[in-house]
Amino acid sequence: MTDVVLSVAGLGKSYDDVVAVDGLDFEIFKGQCFGLLGPNGAGKSTTLGMLEGMEEPTSGSVRYFGKPFPADYQDRVGIQFQATALQDFLSPFDNLKLFSSFYDDPIPMDRLIDQFRLNDFLHRDTRRLSGGQRQRLLLALALVHNPEIVFLDEPTTGLDPRSRRDLWDVVSELKADGRTLILTTHYMEEAEVLCDELLILSHGKTLLQGAPKKLIKEAGVSDLDTLFLSLTGEPLVKTQEVIE
Amino acid sequence: MSSILGSLRRMKAIFVARNLEYLRDRASFGWNLVFPVLIVFALAVVFSGPPRALFVVTAIGTESLPEIVKFPGVETIIDREDKALDRLSRQQTDLVVKIVDGSVDYWVNGNSASGAILELLLKYTENRPLQRGETDGEAIRYVDWVVPGILGMNMMYSALWGVGYVVVRYRQSGYLRRLKATPLTKFEFLSAQVLSRLLVTLTASVIVFVGTNLMLDYKMVGSIALLLLIALIGGLAMITLGLAIACRTESKEFADGLLNAITFPMLLLSGVWFSLDGSPEWVQSIAQALPLTHVLEAARAVMLDDAGLADIALNLGLLCGFCVVGMGISIKLFRW
Repeated sequence: MTDVVLSVAGLGKSYDDVVAVDGLDFEIFKGQCFGLLGPNGAGKSTTLGMLEGMEEPTSGSVRYFGKPFPADYQDRVGIQFQATALQDFLSPFDNLKLFSSFYDDPIPMDRLIDQFRLNDFLHRDTRRLSGGQRQRLLLALALVHNPEIVFLDEPTTGLDPRSRRDLWDVVSELKADGRTLILTTHYMEEAEVLCDELLILSHGKTLLQGAPKKLIKEAGVSDLDTLFLSLTGEPLVKTQEVIE
Repeated sequence: MSSILGSLRRMKAIFVARNLEYLRDRASFGWNLVFPVLIVFALAVVFSGPPRALFVVTAIGTESLPEIVKFPGVETIIDREDKALDRLSRQQTDLVVKIVDGSVDYWVNGNSASGAILELLLKYTENRPLQRGETDGEAIRYVDWVVPGILGMNMMYSALWGVGYVVVRYRQSGYLRRLKATPLTKFEFLSAQVLSRLLVTLTASVIVFVGTNLMLDYKMVGSIALLLLIALIGGLAMITLGLAIACRTESKEFADGLLNAITFPMLLLSGVWFSLDGSPEWVQSIAQALPLTHVLEAARAVMLDDAGLADIALNLGLLCGFCVVGMGISIKLFRW
């Protein structure tokens, strides 16, 4: 895990007079699962947008293997957006076919259908999918072209505990494949289970960065939630709260 | 070569997906076919009775109109000579009169009984010298005249809302942002939207045209191929107009307002329901700036007067201009 895939230096983003991201510096290594944590409005999604190449930074830079984004950067990344609508009246099968057609060498659809367990609802209108089914489909769509880097923006928000666990399994499989994963989440347990490295943001700035266990140990607290609360004064959501 | 093939593959994928979405939306699909048919039938019934005025006289110029126009039951329209004679040949007017240097030039349609009666009345009431002219041509019913208007109106709604509103909906829901994260280019996406909606618009127009003609047997004397060409270029012009409206708009409500602001003048001024002959010059100038006006002028010329390509070349040329401007604006300003 030595190759730096993405290096971020002095990264900033402002909208008129609102500073969303303010001078971030960090590196993401190949095969790493990198977590961006923070309360609402911390700048997680904006940072993610700039790493994805979807948003232009106001200041600073993001470099891919030490260079500016190549022209085919979108072919190398897979993105699961926080809120994505799909075309009405299309099934998961239609969507997989559509998104596969955008790429020269997509993963065979059968493999994706098996990997993300889409068979049970393959021909259902996507508007009638459950939250978990929908997220599995969106993840499959993000991976149709076998990308090196996968961005997951709050992939389990709004899911029931079972669906959340299912999605963790899928993300763990992606990690095992050696892909670089970058995710944002509000859930501490999720961050602890899935992420190798965490960046905790507040008001667009870095509060803390490091491996989850190391951060907990150095802060002398029992868990990430307590650590986060002590840093920001705002609790993140515990899985138990979602269950209830 | 591979990049062109890749581009075509992506366009085809979006084209197919959009068509699937439309075909599976049975309510919209059905309404696009049923609505114009219902209107054609309703108008055929409503206007099947006799006209309100007994006779219609068209005067060229407004100076010293003949006495005949003062008769009860005579409606008078003021118009240009060429348009007046066109109306006479379709028996939309019964007599055309023009006062020239103290003499009265008049024209009647040799096939019109009303024209013959008015001619007698004119001879009886007019002291000035009379100069006779004659045209021929069969009468057209209102339904013959209004069918191109309804087909054009349906095309306008289908094109503007089917592209303009849908693209804004895609943007508002985040679907365009999702597509941006793929190799799909703006040009590929926009072209696929245009082609998909063009197919839908043309298919719906052909079905409505054939279906209503089988039942109402309205007048169609010109070339079907030319009519299809008008539908093709006219449809493209309105689809690209819809895209231009949608290229930056982020709110469905605002898009709704913009689309209404564009369709409403076309509905009133392009000659969908009634002719603008005799309306003020400035109204007709505004009408000429609207794509639907040129679609309807060309379609009526082909359907009712057997016009050829040369006769409608100006209308088609202007519609092509609308296409180029609309597509240019869309590609230049489009935001995912």
